[in-house]
Amino acid sequence: MQTTAVYDSLHPLEINLLAAFSQSADKPVSDSSLQELSQLEPSQVSMALGWLQAKKLVRIHSEITTAWVGLTEVGHRYLADGSPPEWIIRTCKKGAEEGRSFTVKELQSLNTFPPTDLSRAFGLLKKEGAIALAAGGRIEPTETPSPTVEKLRELLHELRKSRQELLSFSPDQQTLLRQYAVKRGSAQEPFRIEERIQREYAPTKTGKAVAKRCHAGSVEEVSQLTPDMLKDGSWRNKRFRKYTITLRPPRVAPGRRHPYREFLDLVKHKLVGMGFQEMRGPLVETEFWDMDALYMPQFHPARAIHDVYFVKTPTHAKAVTEPFLSQVAATHETGGSTGSSGWGYRYDKERARRLILRSQGTAVSARTLASNPLIPGKYFSMARCFRYDQVDATHATDFFQIEGIVLGEEINFRTLLGLLTIFAKEMAQAQESKFFPAYFPFTEPSVELHVRHPKLGWMELGGAGLFRPEVTQPLGVTVPVIAWGLGLDRMAMVALGIHDIRELFSVDLEKVRTLRGRFA
Amino acid sequence: MPTISFFQKDFEELLGRTVPPEQLESWLPLVKGELKDVTQATGEIRVELQDSNRPDLWSVEGIARQIRLKLQESPPAYPFLNAKAKPKRRILVAEGLEQVRPYVAACTATGYTVTEESLAQLIQVQEKLADLYGHKRKTVSVGLYRLPRIHFPVTYGLVKPTEARFTPLGLSEKLTLQEILTVHPKGIEYGSILADQPLLPLLWDTEGQILSFPPIINSQDIGQVHAGDSDLLVEVTGTDMRMVLLTLNIFATNLADRGAVIEPIEVQYPYDTGWGKSIRTPCDISAVQKIPLKAIESALGLPIDADLAQQTLRAYGYEVKASRHTLAVRLPHYRNDLMHPVDVAEDVAISRGYDSFVPVMPAQFTVGSLSALEMMSDYIREHMVGQGFQEIFSNILLSHEELVERMRLPEDEQVVEVDNVMSQSFSCLRSWIVPSLLRVETASPRAFYPHRLFEIGEVAIPDSGQELGSRTAVRLAIVIAHPHANFSEVHTCLDVLMFYLVKDYELEPLSHGSFLDGRAGTILSQGQTVGLIGELHPEVLENWGISVPISVVELDVDWLCADSP
Repeated sequence: MQTTAVYDSLHPLEINLLAAFSQSADKPVSDSSLQELSQLEPSQVSMALGWLQAKKLVRIHSEITTAWVGLTEVGHRYLADGSPPEWIIRTCKKGAEEGRSFTVKELQSLNTFPPTDLSRAFGLLKKEGAIALAAGGRIEPTETPSPTVEKLRELLHELRKSRQELLSFSPDQQTLLRQYAVKRGSAQEPFRIEERIQREYAPTKTGKAVAKRCHAGSVEEVSQLTPDMLKDGSWRNKRFRKYTITLRPPRVAPGRRHPYREFLDLVKHKLVGMGFQEMRGPLVETEFWDMDALYMPQFHPARAIHDVYFVKTPTHAKAVTEPFLSQVAATHETGGSTGSSGWGYRYDKERARRLILRSQGTAVSARTLASNPLIPGKYFSMARCFRYDQVDATHATDFFQIEGIVLGEEINFRTLLGLLTIFAKEMAQAQESKFFPAYFPFTEPSVELHVRHPKLGWMELGGAGLFRPEVTQPLGVTVPVIAWGLGLDRMAMVALGIHDIRELFSVDLEKVRTLRGRFA
Repeated sequence: MPTISFFQKDFEELLGRTVPPEQLESWLPLVKGELKDVTQATGEIRVELQDSNRPDLWSVEGIARQIRLKLQESPPAYPFLNAKAKPKRRILVAEGLEQVRPYVAACTATGYTVTEESLAQLIQVQEKLADLYGHKRKTVSVGLYRLPRIHFPVTYGLVKPTEARFTPLGLSEKLTLQEILTVHPKGIEYGSILADQPLLPLLWDTEGQILSFPPIINSQDIGQVHAGDSDLLVEVTGTDMRMVLLTLNIFATNLADRGAVIEPIEVQYPYDTGWGKSIRTPCDISAVQKIPLKAIESALGLPIDADLAQQTLRAYGYEVKASRHTLAVRLPHYRNDLMHPVDVAEDVAISRGYDSFVPVMPAQFTVGSLSALEMMSDYIREHMVGQGFQEIFSNILLSHEELVERMRLPEDEQVVEVDNVMSQSFSCLRSWIVPSLLRVETASPRAFYPHRLFEIGEVAIPDSGQELGSRTAVRLAIVIAHPHANFSEVHTCLDVLMFYLVKDYELEPLSHGSFLDGRAGTILSQGQTVGLIGELHPEVLENWGISVPISVVELDVDWLCADSP
């Protein structure tokens, strides 16, 4: 980076500190000297040093470890009241003047020193000959002075105001200080020796170059433009710190549509654009609307394959609307008036009322057929459906079916293929499509639509057909009707980059927040 | 629908020509088949058949036949249908079977030596037909036997469960029918078909040899066909005469296609079958139907010349006589799926090939629109996104525990429950949406906060006044979860939403198990309850394993559309 760019990105604290280096002719400087030179708080110095090191403008030049010694609370008490040996001599001498002498035990009861300190003091004084033990364990002071007591007093006095470097004392004194310093396990000592690391810092090569431009207090730099600055115009005298704009910003979670819903919205709007009207139906359905009305015989294997969820209570609907029930029943049994031979079995009207969870979106189409639909008319639904299936990567507990119908005098096999061609283009941007014979219980002829998706290649896009007259006529519709269904989930999954259908309905918020894709 | 497997060589022999694999795939639309896979090394081909009304196609013989018809353009003759001579062999049906398993049909197939491969195919068809078409043998089941061992007439009669003993397939000792039902794997699997029957069906010959115990198991002696056998008896029993006859016809035709000579058997009933008391099987089961040419033309959307229609249908196996405006058609004897002229129309289309139709764009004008409910939902969704909420889209089957117990609702709280539960986790339709959003919260403690979630979707509300015992409603739920989430924050969201919905509302204090007392309310609009608001009870949060406070709103959407223009 160029020095200008580096300089522009500096925080005022950093500029101040670099200026201090520059004042010291780029020589290594200790942090305490930096503090003096820059007139900054210790915390600011350490913060700015951290930043400058991260930017490789300053490096640590050297580290010196020094030992410092000072008084503890105990030390201050010794200074005021005397150290234990001093106290023993003083007490014994005073006693002697009054004609009294003490045993060790008696002395112990007269003060608050810990017993270990006292016994160390006795040992010392005896060794130095400052006391002697007379008959009966009585202590007698001698004329010999104790050099240690004197030295201790000097040291306590010396250190009463501030800590000093251990090395500034004579070797003799150092030994004594160490002897009477706080160690692990003995807190009751008068001195404490601490090791301090003193670092010296020096600017790097780039740092030196940048430091040349730095003059403490030269610019007033601000990071935020404030309303006050605008009001009084003071922004004119300020320099606005430049940001490192290449860093990533903090993350936020925006308000957002669900990505799979977004896909369904697109489909929905395309269908409306093609002239389809939305229809809706209930989640809980009768077998009648879900299957019987679609000419699926009550015994048919397709119905057993079509495993459904049955409702626990109530088990049956109160009624199925007439005349549809009777007309559908007659159609199943004999063909009724549809021109069909029918399935030729005894239709169970009780079973028609059995309540289930809607297993196919076509149930919604059946209800629409029975509700005086517009002719010509186009309808679609996005119906939540349920199947009695083990849940796995390709089966969700419930899923959406996109289905619909087209009613009109013009409807026939060729207009069906025409509609599917439009679907191929609109829903899958496919220029090529193929039609295969298919089987659905409620349509004849039936078609499977395969398309060449620009990215996914050949894929099945949906199934469709012309509703059998056995479906339309009992529901009161006399014109031909196209029934179609689209399988679009695979396109949605590919666009979203997911491989498990359950993830379309994920409960993982992080996944929902980050799931994205373009549905072209 | 069934997936069958066969070998390319066998298929080619039946077709009478060699077939490159891509050629096979191009023919499969004729049988509504989908090529699943081809194993090059062995020549094994697997095909899925879609049409549940065409059991004749669930075999390599059937697939080859349909394609051969197209190549030869006319149906082959099956002389056994029109044999003049009285059948040499008879099956006598005893009284009482009309209450148990009324119908039987049979024929013999001779002069074709069964190979390992054709035996595997015979067994595959037998299983597919009995399982899928015959509802796991309930309506139809099939038996194959070694003909030379059987002395006709054969009796189809009833016996007491302990009366008859024979060695069933797969075992080496004789068992009574009672023992077969309790011990033999097939007895255990299919015994329920004969549950509560005091007398059981049995086939035996004039020398008293037992052929089989239909629909459970064949005898080890007579009822086990081996490769190398060349004279067979095929027998079908069941509860639906037409289906029994069709099944036998399919078998007879499959064997005839392999070169066997089929000889009919006469079955004599003591009761009426709807087809008379004495029936010669196999037989034609379809009548000639007159189909107006116009019906086909209008279904397919193009004019069709009668001769062309005749030619097209013959190439698909039909017997056809065309006049100017009518086609007199009869389905081949191995099919039974002509209910309406539209069925013929589809066969014309399939025979011609769907690719030969030029699509026509539907031209009639219609106006597209969304329902009022969907438009309102979309409006609210857009608004909630504007308020900074993430939309959630949930599965709507939940557990009773999630909907009721975890929410501290009374045990007798009504929800729509599934009777045939697959998994307790998906046993109820949700009655409100908040539990759906709490599932997200439970799963997402590591997603950074705040969590501002909403979902609009369907719920099912139990309602005994409704025809269906419940009604489907659309609801909005809002969940705010973060360390300082509270009533006031979610109240603000509701307030802003109601402002833009141009709806007045008020809150009325509510005592509700899911919420902290004194921090929950009913949302009222013009005196009508339209929702709930509150801070979730800490015990609810504990029940869900959630460790941040949550405040919620649940609002009906339906009423917002009720008075909208």
